[in-house]
Amino acid sequence: MTRESLVVSTLVELADNLVDNFDVIDVLTFLCDRCVQAVDMDAAGVMLESPGGELQYIASSSDSMRVLELFQIQTDEGPCIDSVRGSKAIINRELRESDNRWPRFSPKAMELGFQSVHCLPMRLRGKSIGALNLFRADVGYLSDEDVLVVQGLADVATIAILQHRSSLDASTLNGQLSQALNSRIIIEQAKGIIAESLKCDMDQAFARLRTHARNHNLGLTDVARGVVAGSIRSADLDAPRARIVK
Amino acid sequence: MVFVPSDRLIDIFALMARHERQGAKEGSLSLAAAEITNVTGAGIVLSPGDSQMTNFGTSNDVATELLELEMTLREGPYVDACAGEVAEDVDLLSSSKPRWILYTPSAIDIGARAVFSFPVRIGSIRLGALGLYRDEPGELTYEQSSDAFLMASVVARAMLALQSGSSGEDLSEELEREATFDFTIHQAAGMLSVQARMNVGDALVLLRTHAFATSRSISAMAARIINRETAYDEKSGTWYDEGDIAI
Repeated sequence: MTRESLVVSTLVELADNLVDNFDVIDVLTFLCDRCVQAVDMDAAGVMLESPGGELQYIASSSDSMRVLELFQIQTDEGPCIDSVRGSKAIINRELRESDNRWPRFSPKAMELGFQSVHCLPMRLRGKSIGALNLFRADVGYLSDEDVLVVQGLADVATIAILQHRSSLDASTLNGQLSQALNSRIIIEQAKGIIAESLKCDMDQAFARLRTHARNHNLGLTDVARGVVAGSIRSADLDAPRARIVK
Repeated sequence: MVFVPSDRLIDIFALMARHERQGAKEGSLSLAAAEITNVTGAGIVLSPGDSQMTNFGTSNDVATELLELEMTLREGPYVDACAGEVAEDVDLLSSSKPRWILYTPSAIDIGARAVFSFPVRIGSIRLGALGLYRDEPGELTYEQSSDAFLMASVVARAMLALQSGSSGEDLSEELEREATFDFTIHQAAGMLSVQARMNVGDALVLLRTHAFATSRSISAMAARIINRETAYDEKSGTWYDEGDIAI
């Protein structure tokens, strides 16, 4: 599932519009609590990367989780560290007493009562800013759907932190959307006019439109608008050159 | 203020995620809308600014027919909701005067007994409408209608989020994938404008009128015109309908 999944992009947009004045710790603590409820986890925690690249403990749903997050930072080992550095999700990872990957972290986590771990990077448009850790006291699996929901929540928090607003401004986007839709409609109307006037099919009509626009260095929508308004006659449109057969 | 997604919102996202994962190519929003509000079917139209209504996905065939019906007639719950009006409770079989004279009997024929619609908007920005229908009469409960309002706001954000991937000039790929855009209507209007020697706006009205007169949906009529099975003769002011008795 790509980051541009509908769920995720919707959440991002929602968050961007709804988060006004906020406290980062509040938002992230809330995120941890919400993840624990939403996908039936026992604990959740968030670490953020400082501009200098060091990881910092920020929030967690419980105290044992806090201990574990700090332990990861001290030992520079554990799922959260791997997830931030590799900017990738670690899902459904069982913990083992003798763990080659995390020799110090795994026994510590099990000592605190956890059996399995999931870790999701917090990122926006390719930029990683931290990771969300989820722990369970038994070996349980997250479904693809659970992962989407949790990744969506993590993205909400990411947006909250980066306060990335400008490019998602609602009225600008709405203007673009309606313009894009209208220009698409005009192009289709022009294709119909050309197809009827020159007795050709829609693909050939579109080829005329595009060729003419290219030859005269005009926008496709501008040429289409001219055809619809009657200022450009279909017969005057440049025809595409016949393809040379090698 | 902290953004707090409600439990219901999380339910909606979980539903959408499930449909997405199950490979619903389009209409995951309308599927989620029908499911979350517990009605027979749902549909969404995109109509930003003053642009024409465009199908943004429907949850089943009846929902598609209902939406098409409105595109043909230019009246009904979606049209009202696009104009900002909520139609929360319209029992199509009620004996009193129908709210929509042409739409109501056709919608009953298609299989709807009650219809509901909600504007899709962000603040004062109007983007389109969410429509619901049920195959038996009855009002929405308070919970159903608040879920529908919540769903309408999710749809609004989704439309903008999908478009945000584009440079601005074109419809984004994500949006094109999600919506069932039917641009054949506009191609047919273009053809008809040449045949009838009129502007495309008037040609669209002519197309709509002829579709209704011959009991076809506007997109079915558009397909006939593009396939040159139906044409308008400007000199005699009559239609040529292949396979039909001349009208």
